[in-house]
Amino acid sequence: MSGEKAGAVDVDEFSDVWVFIEEHDGEVLSVSWELLAEARTLTDQTGEDLVALVIGDGVDDVAREAIERGADRALVADAPVFEPYRADPYGEQFRALVERRNPDIVLIGGTHTGRDFAGRVAVPAHAGLTADCTEIDVDEDGHLQARRPAFGGNVLATIVCEQHRPQMATIRPGVFEAADPDPDRTGEIEQVDVVVDDSETVTAVRERTVGDTADITEAERIVAVGAGCEGDLGPVEDLADALDAELAASRAVVDEGWVDGSRQVGQTGKTVRPELYVAVGISGAVQHVEGMNDSDVVVAINDDPNAPIFEHADYGIVGDLFEVCPDLAERIRAEGLAEVTG
Amino acid sequence: MVENLTILVGVKQVPDDDEVDIDPDTGHLDRASAPAILNRPDRNALEAALELRDETGGEVLAISMGPPTATAVLEEAVAMGCDDGVLVTDRAFAGSDTWPTSLTLAAAADALGADVVLCGEETTDSSTGQVPPGIAAHLDWAQLTYVEALDVDHGADRLVARRDVEGGHEVVAADLPVVVAVAYGENEPRPASLHRKIYAENEFEPMEVSAADIGLDEDEVGIDASPTEVGGMETVDPVERERERVESTDELLDAIRETGVTT
Repeated sequence: MSGEKAGAVDVDEFSDVWVFIEEHDGEVLSVSWELLAEARTLTDQTGEDLVALVIGDGVDDVAREAIERGADRALVADAPVFEPYRADPYGEQFRALVERRNPDIVLIGGTHTGRDFAGRVAVPAHAGLTADCTEIDVDEDGHLQARRPAFGGNVLATIVCEQHRPQMATIRPGVFEAADPDPDRTGEIEQVDVVVDDSETVTAVRERTVGDTADITEAERIVAVGAGCEGDLGPVEDLADALDAELAASRAVVDEGWVDGSRQVGQTGKTVRPELYVAVGISGAVQHVEGMNDSDVVVAINDDPNAPIFEHADYGIVGDLFEVCPDLAERIRAEGLAEVTG
Repeated sequence: MVENLTILVGVKQVPDDDEVDIDPDTGHLDRASAPAILNRPDRNALEAALELRDETGGEVLAISMGPPTATAVLEEAVAMGCDDGVLVTDRAFAGSDTWPTSLTLAAAADALGADVVLCGEETTDSSTGQVPPGIAAHLDWAQLTYVEALDVDHGADRLVARRDVEGGHEVVAADLPVVVAVAYGENEPRPASLHRKIYAENEFEPMEVSAADIGLDEDEVGIDASPTEVGGMETVDPVERERERVESTDELLDAIRETGVTT
């Protein structure tokens, strides 16, 4: 172990695992429930409390659901200033809570909002923050082992934080499974002092439009589209419809603005684990494959016989997606979905 | 009225992620083999900065924290149209994680009198996206991340950003000074003009800044001030796939059927 670092703390003074419950207008993102379920396995090992951190406006129901989904306690900061999310009031509130309560570990969903929040709050806390983790564990000394894919997923790096607290990590959505609510679970819901005054904020949300709230991490079947569609989503959407599948996309497609970022699979997107993953016009860069490798069956459709995606697929067909997709959709409709999928 | 801004753009030299080889025996990355390039998302930050300068006047300074070789990415930024480039370089910075990195860039922004710091969404070599909000936190400034479009509200003395959020977007106004992280691929970075390119390659020398120059002690930065460390690396076994080619959609349907994938 290296010498004492700047900002090092007495780690024994810190305890409990906090999970940041990301909600917008009372709607909780599923990644928050996924983290609560995974964090439960950590606290069952360490004997610490699992604490849901709920920040928002009128979020009593969210706090109750957090208890039902595994939290021992909920800390609730409830005020109009917290809706919609802004980094500055959330950051101030979090700073005050951490200073008073010394959490050992804080887990945050790796969404845009979660990353915006985590990056902000780790600084005043002088916390160790690891981004985009896909595995978490604690060692015998209670140190968090935060694992994240690096270099296109060829390597899994373990990041540790020995001398600073809290130990923070953002976790990629879709990696862990949420627990169902158990209405018999009980836990303390504590309203904390709100330390933020709206007149002191430096940002204002003027407009917020959230339309596409599809959650591809829950999908049983996915048709994913890549740059090969050249902006024409019609045949791919039609295939998705025939398969009763969710539409997903590679980063290139999201960057072009053809599909919303909430449907992006791979590094900086989501991890999906459907029974059937059909990759259409996706070349198969490692950054994409990393997010779909847990699929049961992978099918690739690409006009380039040398596309790397075929190395990561169970079944591949070399062909023009504008011909293969309509043909496949037609056959599935003719024979019936249940027939096809067993 | 928002005018005459000092705009700082953080740029980083990274290994070209398409070219990094892995030693099959050790599993270690052969990063030396990969060419060093300007982090791709930083081009979008540079473009946004130059557009902002067109609107408000002032100057755009590219800033990079790294070894002297990082001068190459500052040259590229100057060729694109930045007024000047700053190289923040010091042996004391070695081993910095995102905490001291954002502290260092924040201290430089303060020393240079920046009104706006623009960054790319994340770097392709570490993919954390933590540095832009970290800079804002160190300075106690407003932050705007995942920004798709940036406008000036002259009446309110604010920058207004369209941000990409899960499933949609939001429009957020922020007081100056502010840190802005531009979403990757959201604008068309301009090509370097010929005369700027000639200037950048032949005459441009970056302003060099050490830790002491921006008021930082050696033990405030680098590995000694980094809460996180890499505890280990392991290679990931590839997932086994059938890798079977089929010739027709009929065959494909049969193959899917045989896997027993059920609804």
